[in-house]
Amino acid sequence: MAINLTSKKILIIEDNASMRETMIHILGSLGGRFLITAESGINAITAMKIDKFDIVLCDYNLLGKKTGQQVLDDARFLKLLPVNAIFIMVTGETRQELVLSAIDNKPDDYLIKPISKDQLSTRIERCTARKQYLACVENEMDSGNFYQALHHCKRLLESDDKKMRLHLLKIQAELTIKIGDFKAAEQLYENILYERELPWARLGLGTVAFFLGDYDQAIETFKDLIVQHPSMMEAYDWLVKAHEAQGNDDNALSSLNSAVNLSPMSILRQKKLAMLADKTDNLAIAHKAYSAVIKLGKNSAQKSPADFAGLANVYLKSNAPNEALKILNQLNLRFQNDPEARLRSALLESEIHLTNGNKELAQLAFGKASVLNEQFSKNLPKELRLNMAKTLYLNGDKMACDEMLNDLVTTNIDNKLFVKDIVNMCDTFIGQNYAMLLIKQVRKELADINNNGVNLFLEGDIKGALDVFEKAIAKRPNNHTVILNMVKIIIHDLKSSKPDPDKIIKAQAYINKAIEIGMPHTQISRLQTELDSFQNATLQ
Amino acid sequence: MLPIDFSALLASSIHDIKNSLGALRALLTQLEKIYIDPKPDELKHLNFEANRMNNILMQLLILYKIDLSQFSPTIDEHEVGEILEDVSAQQSTLLSLGNIKLITQCDNDLHCYCDSTLIGNALCTLVNNAQRYCLTKVLLSVAKEGDYVVFCIEDDGKGYPENLLTSDYKQLPLIDLATGNTGLGLFFTDTIAQLHVQGDKRGFITTDNNSQFGGARFRLYLP
Repeated sequence: MAINLTSKKILIIEDNASMRETMIHILGSLGGRFLITAESGINAITAMKIDKFDIVLCDYNLLGKKTGQQVLDDARFLKLLPVNAIFIMVTGETRQELVLSAIDNKPDDYLIKPISKDQLSTRIERCTARKQYLACVENEMDSGNFYQALHHCKRLLESDDKKMRLHLLKIQAELTIKIGDFKAAEQLYENILYERELPWARLGLGTVAFFLGDYDQAIETFKDLIVQHPSMMEAYDWLVKAHEAQGNDDNALSSLNSAVNLSPMSILRQKKLAMLADKTDNLAIAHKAYSAVIKLGKNSAQKSPADFAGLANVYLKSNAPNEALKILNQLNLRFQNDPEARLRSALLESEIHLTNGNKELAQLAFGKASVLNEQFSKNLPKELRLNMAKTLYLNGDKMACDEMLNDLVTTNIDNKLFVKDIVNMCDTFIGQNYAMLLIKQVRKELADINNNGVNLFLEGDIKGALDVFEKAIAKRPNNHTVILNMVKIIIHDLKSSKPDPDKIIKAQAYINKAIEIGMPHTQISRLQTELDSFQNATLQ
Repeated sequence: MLPIDFSALLASSIHDIKNSLGALRALLTQLEKIYIDPKPDELKHLNFEANRMNNILMQLLILYKIDLSQFSPTIDEHEVGEILEDVSAQQSTLLSLGNIKLITQCDNDLHCYCDSTLIGNALCTLVNNAQRYCLTKVLLSVAKEGDYVVFCIEDDGKGYPENLLTSDYKQLPLIDLATGNTGLGLFFTDTIAQLHVQGDKRGFITTDNNSQFGGARFRLYLP
């Protein structure tokens, strides 16, 4: 066996002492010198915070509270794994059960115990070779440069390496979806499926239908997949999304409920179930799911004050205000220095006291919430701010409410689902025309800014135009038109001046941002091609 | 008396036995450290038998899940060479024990669509059996045959007994107490072969005594 691990930093996560020693022994005989062991998931995360590892071997069934999957989820969530690191899940079970709990984070490989020296060394060797081969693609993906990643992917496919072909095609299709070129992705998946009926390709075709807005087709595809592969969790997750996109929350809830029954250990899925059940007033399900989230969250980087607030709110809705207060106490204890937690807690406290008829206490809690809101408002999740706006209105502070809603609409004008939430809230509590007028006004302001910038540009005042859009982006970081105009002007500027790498980087960052917020491929691809031509010019 | 749900009972027992087996293996590793090289053959043999038990238990669990319709294979394109490499790596302990040779053969860039974990597990058991009944060597070869990729295991032993030469592997043969031959490995492999489907073609297995070395020949066809 050719592999030599001398220069590799290796982490072994294993709760069984003799297994740990066996692993050290095997890795040592393959040249491993930098070997760190952790006997629990929590210690493993700590170790990964201290060192950046090249190889992580993780037992799935760890004693204590974290499973191997949770270690991987947390490591990715906290960005503790370098892009080119290898993560191998070791297990006594068959692979199937492990795949079940994974949502987005899959290990690079699975190994089934008992492991011999030969096995371990071939696996590490294979993973290393694969990672090296794909490094150019994965590095670009990691930096958010999806067009460049796609370019590398196509280049590798041209070399016609049979061993990597299917894997590359899969990445290519996923990247093509990322940049929003759904028709091309559809073609890619169809070509693969023509060759062989593969579940991941069928799933891909379903997601394409989803992105193209053909929700009926998407739902049919995902349902078929679930019939054939009852444990394919991704199909459930997409089915839920498609139902939601159709506005059919009840169907979404029932699909999500089946998925959670199959993989009760997945915190993200439980969280989603809790919120959806909460929204649709299925209080028993919401209660069960929030409780599960809180329990799973104890050992997870994904724990959040919103889970406690959610559970407290469910108690409040079920006419159990005292239970709700108990949960708020827990929330306050667990997240003492977290402004978001304190705001959530204060808001709910105010509502609970109102329900109990305790006006003075309610006013006191509302006062706390207002102060926190002023201090941290812009850094808080938008759903929480919408909730705050509602409470402000209900407590008679109309001005603060107006201001908050104005800002929320301005920053999220392109987020259709959230704008819908805002409209629903305003219609229920403030009045029928309020949201409509607000949205109209925000659209007009935006149009004015864009016109102003474009006019300056047409008059030849490039610097002035850039200035207008930079200010606009600071206030509206997610607005499609503003970002698009910004990129266009930078590119025009590049055409008329000498090559400037800083400007290219800036334009690329805005394009990446545009992809990230889901702008359509048709609007971006031409700009990317133009930018690439400057890039190539500077290279030559 | 309440009716006993034997399959559920069996499944939970298998989990328990697997855990015990895990502990036993860990103990074995510790024991191994007491001896300096060369380690006694008995130790290697113990390891090998524990390995074999583990394989069989895993097969039983998978069959249990297939029976409950809770199982679907994870099919992807795999390089055949890598699958063979995995089988050899798993068999390395046993091979180092004695004078039996395992030869693997396949074209360099031969690929096939399969669940590599399942197929690897099945091949291991069958190669294992072949090693028990052969005299000097086992050949594991893979080649493309029309729309199928064919995994072939041949040995130079006495060949399959009559009861394992049936073409209906779904029918578990009666256990031959004299030889201890259960046919479980064949039953498992046939079951998982049938989970591999492409268009109207399905995987299957065959057994005969036409080995080029005069012993048993097993073939697994995957579409």
